[in-house]
Amino acid sequence: MNFAVVGSQFFPLLINGLALGFIYVLVSVGYTMVYGVLRLINFANSEIFMLGTFATSIVSTTVFKFNIDSHPSHGMKLLLVLLCCLLASMVTSAVVAVLVELIAYRRLRTKGANRLGSLISAIGTSIVLSEGVRILTHSIPVASPRVLSKFYVFKIHGVGLRIDQMLTIVFGFILFFAVDRFVTKTRLGKAIRAVSMSEENSRLMGINLNRVISLTFLIGGLVTGAAAFMYMTVYEQTVFNVGFNIGIAAFTAAVLGGIGNLRGAFYGGLALGLAEEFFSVLLGSQWKEITVFVVLVLVLLLRPNGLFGEAVQQTRV
Amino acid sequence: MNLTTKRTLGVVAAVAISFGSVVATSAQAAPKSVTLAFESPLTGSEAGLGQDELLGTQTALYEYNLTNPTVKVNLLTADDQADSSQSPGVALGLAQNKAVIGVVGSCCSGATKAAFPAFKAGRLTVISPSATNATLTDPKSSVNGFPFFHRVAATDAFQGPALARYANKGITSPKDYLIDDASTYGAGLKALSTPSLKKAGVSIVGSDTVIAPATDYSATASKVVASHANVVIYFGYYSDAGKLKKALDLAGYKGAYASGDGTDDLGYITSAGKESAQGTLITSQSVPFELAAPASVLADFTKATKLASPASHAYVTQAYNATNVFLQCIKEGHTTRSSIQSCVATETFTDVTGAKFNFTRYGDIAQGAPVGAYIVKDNDIIPVGNA
Amino acid sequence: MINLRDAGAELWEGWNRPKRVAFAILAILAAMLLPYAGRYSLTNFLNTPISSYQAVLVYPVGMYILMALGLNIVVGKSGLLDLGYVAFFAIGAYTAAVLGTHTHLNIWEIMPFGMGAAMIAGVILGLPALRLRGDYLAIVTLGFGEIVRIFIINTPSIGGPNGIAGIPQPPTFLGQAFDIEHPDHFFWLVVVMICVVIWMVRRLSIRRPGRAWEAIRQDEDVAVLMGVPTLRYKIWSFSIGAAVGGAAGVIFASQQMFVAPQSFNYNVSVLILSCVVFGGMGNIWGVVLGASILSYLPERIRFISNARELVFGLALVLMMNVRPEGLLPRKKREHLSEEERAALKATRAAMKASKKSESKEAKN
Repeated sequence: MNFAVVGSQFFPLLINGLALGFIYVLVSVGYTMVYGVLRLINFANSEIFMLGTFATSIVSTTVFKFNIDSHPSHGMKLLLVLLCCLLASMVTSAVVAVLVELIAYRRLRTKGANRLGSLISAIGTSIVLSEGVRILTHSIPVASPRVLSKFYVFKIHGVGLRIDQMLTIVFGFILFFAVDRFVTKTRLGKAIRAVSMSEENSRLMGINLNRVISLTFLIGGLVTGAAAFMYMTVYEQTVFNVGFNIGIAAFTAAVLGGIGNLRGAFYGGLALGLAEEFFSVLLGSQWKEITVFVVLVLVLLLRPNGLFGEAVQQTRV
Repeated sequence: MNLTTKRTLGVVAAVAISFGSVVATSAQAAPKSVTLAFESPLTGSEAGLGQDELLGTQTALYEYNLTNPTVKVNLLTADDQADSSQSPGVALGLAQNKAVIGVVGSCCSGATKAAFPAFKAGRLTVISPSATNATLTDPKSSVNGFPFFHRVAATDAFQGPALARYANKGITSPKDYLIDDASTYGAGLKALSTPSLKKAGVSIVGSDTVIAPATDYSATASKVVASHANVVIYFGYYSDAGKLKKALDLAGYKGAYASGDGTDDLGYITSAGKESAQGTLITSQSVPFELAAPASVLADFTKATKLASPASHAYVTQAYNATNVFLQCIKEGHTTRSSIQSCVATETFTDVTGAKFNFTRYGDIAQGAPVGAYIVKDNDIIPVGNA
Repeated sequence: MINLRDAGAELWEGWNRPKRVAFAILAILAAMLLPYAGRYSLTNFLNTPISSYQAVLVYPVGMYILMALGLNIVVGKSGLLDLGYVAFFAIGAYTAAVLGTHTHLNIWEIMPFGMGAAMIAGVILGLPALRLRGDYLAIVTLGFGEIVRIFIINTPSIGGPNGIAGIPQPPTFLGQAFDIEHPDHFFWLVVVMICVVIWMVRRLSIRRPGRAWEAIRQDEDVAVLMGVPTLRYKIWSFSIGAAVGGAAGVIFASQQMFVAPQSFNYNVSVLILSCVVFGGMGNIWGVVLGASILSYLPERIRFISNARELVFGLALVLMMNVRPEGLLPRKKREHLSEEERAALKATRAAMKASKKSESKEAKN
């Protein structure tokens, strides 16, 4: 146990954990929304994230010609680059998410197939996407040149907040808030919630099921794409299987908070990001994953539906 | 017959032919052609290494075929996903395939070790480009690859002490922080460096293991900063080495950063970012292909692989050298497994830089490959003598 | 489309006992002859291009069938989604590796230890995890699979990332040597194990545990209401499935003579689950067929090396779209009329209400 390090490095760990946590939050929103309407773990979500990171990287290197020798940009150009990357990432992820639903889920769903059937179909899609990218990139990790110079917004006694972390935290919070408002307040959002409560009843009420489900994937994809953009801003590197670790972590976060519940994803993601940082220091990085899972099991034992789970749902195979 | 039917028939025929062709490979007496197998991960999460090494093998074969040889050499690529549960089956398949007279591979120590029983059963000579785990050629080990296993990469038993020396060179009262990636290579190299560090009186102020590939190195960076270390040594591959260096810089770490041959790749500079990568110390037993190969070989590389440059592709040099060992033996008329075996074991070969080498009884390079010291400067990894 | 499952079942029902026994023996004999199919021109299309055909029959084909049958008890029979089944395989393999290299026990003697260790792990995981439902269980089992793998990597005394080499092979049995050059003998061993597991599952299915699992799978609330001790039967299903995985692990370790943590990653769990679902959950023959195809296909197409996994993924998506219930799905016995559904809902609501009032009373 390395408490001394936690003492001296508390604030950097806290801020790193929060930044990582907000990325987890947004990815787990993708999982949890799809789970809400389909009662299904969207295994292809990690690949939706992966494609978003590549979109960011491609836009910055091909459209704006960033390369290894270029310097981070400033002012209006910086804003333009960031916005374009963000847009590209969100659009790519959203389009892929909607396509995944059409190809991997829709036919199975309309045929009334077993939920596990869709699960395997999603796993298949995920293999196709990641292997496709692997072949295209020759399996090489793709590092993105620095676009945003990583200066400290403020720094007191060596404790500070970096611009990329601030962006991630602020933007992550705003985006999450927007999705939350959308789902609770707007007509379309209410339709999503209606479907997640009862598919049959909402169809009786005249809700176009296919459209609502596509919309859910679209929003999940947009948010996951935003997460991919933020990931690239903070870590600046991606590879064809980057989604695997992030996907498992975000899925864990969604379950920790109570899957199917948006606010659960929020707290779950933050809790997981912070837990990973602090456990890495306390017990050694190699035990990080194990500790996280042990904490998850303990939480689920005390609260079988996650921290913020809704009432027991029919979650059977 | 309408168009769709025709198309379907075409596809069926194509599939039938491709399946049939598999069955038709068989050995003939007095071969006009022999087969070399290339066994490495070509798909899955470790595919990067295998695909990179394949480039070296392809280049060597391309050059061989340009000389209009009397014995044609076919290449059989065998994917083992660097998975020690798949490699024995693949290796046994190669051992039973009478056309195969030698194997270049596998990239990784685990998969190679798992394949030994099959290669021994088939009396098939193996030359690995990059399996550097020391036990593979350890005479005392009961599970070494004697006498069929050889490798053109020197074992980490040479590199470990050299890396320890080079990382702490010229630093007064060095305080080292050691980080490995939990791979066979990384953990092994760390274990081989630690005794030398202790012997040299270096104080090791901390140690961490981050299972690669990892997303976030900021927690490890915080630990390094808190430990007041002035030397960080990373035992692992270039991509994660770059991520760690970036995180260290952002956390405010100002000391030296060193790593082994897994980082000896221009991909490291892109991974860490040019600014962060400057001054990184790297040891390696072999030079990256783009630095080692003469211009003519580099031109052949481009023609053979359709890639502009071997930069960012690891172990191309070793794969090229390993393939050339077999090709030299074939040129001299050795076309059976047993004669290839004695040729590889006894003769002297030339590597891409023109240096001569031969193998020891247990399959290591007898010359012991001097460990070179490198430093990152601008967009290059430049040599600064021996470590 | 011909319904293979029903056609097969009808044929079987129409036979008397001697006919059935004769068919079973013939089928087993035919399976035992599979390793030699590669030699004859009529059947040599089965040959795998790069890896050894006979070795492929043992691992992955035989092992995957065995593991898929084990996982089928958990997922197919009792409806518990397990995403970390590879953990039991790893525990079996590592038990064999550690005992095989540190003691003088032979593989036959190690087998009960391997199965026992996997079963104990199953109970330890099951006690907390099986109180959870559906996808919560999925993530906990997934975590368990990762925990076992990472624990092995982090523990140098069992080889750490290097793994353990030099695991002994089984002693010669009835004059048949078990070594690297005789994968066919290993295959026979695996066929025998598969037959034993199939026999066990079929016996269990028609007895009390089978009925309890079926009840749990269809509706856990109702099962509880009918007096089925659900947790106990779920743990039984979990640990029997684990024991099968452990047994497969022991044979795997001794056939390969080498184990390393990277052989036991999450992808294996997913692949075995795919075998079960792809073939048809709950139906033994479907699972056997699914596992045979999914384990054999990647080996058969090894010659397209670079795009191999891509083709595999495409095949998964296509097949699930064409046959969503799997190749040979189980019989559907769950068609409820509208009245029955309404009654079911009412029962559930009543149960919840009674639970609530109970807890209120307890508070008072």
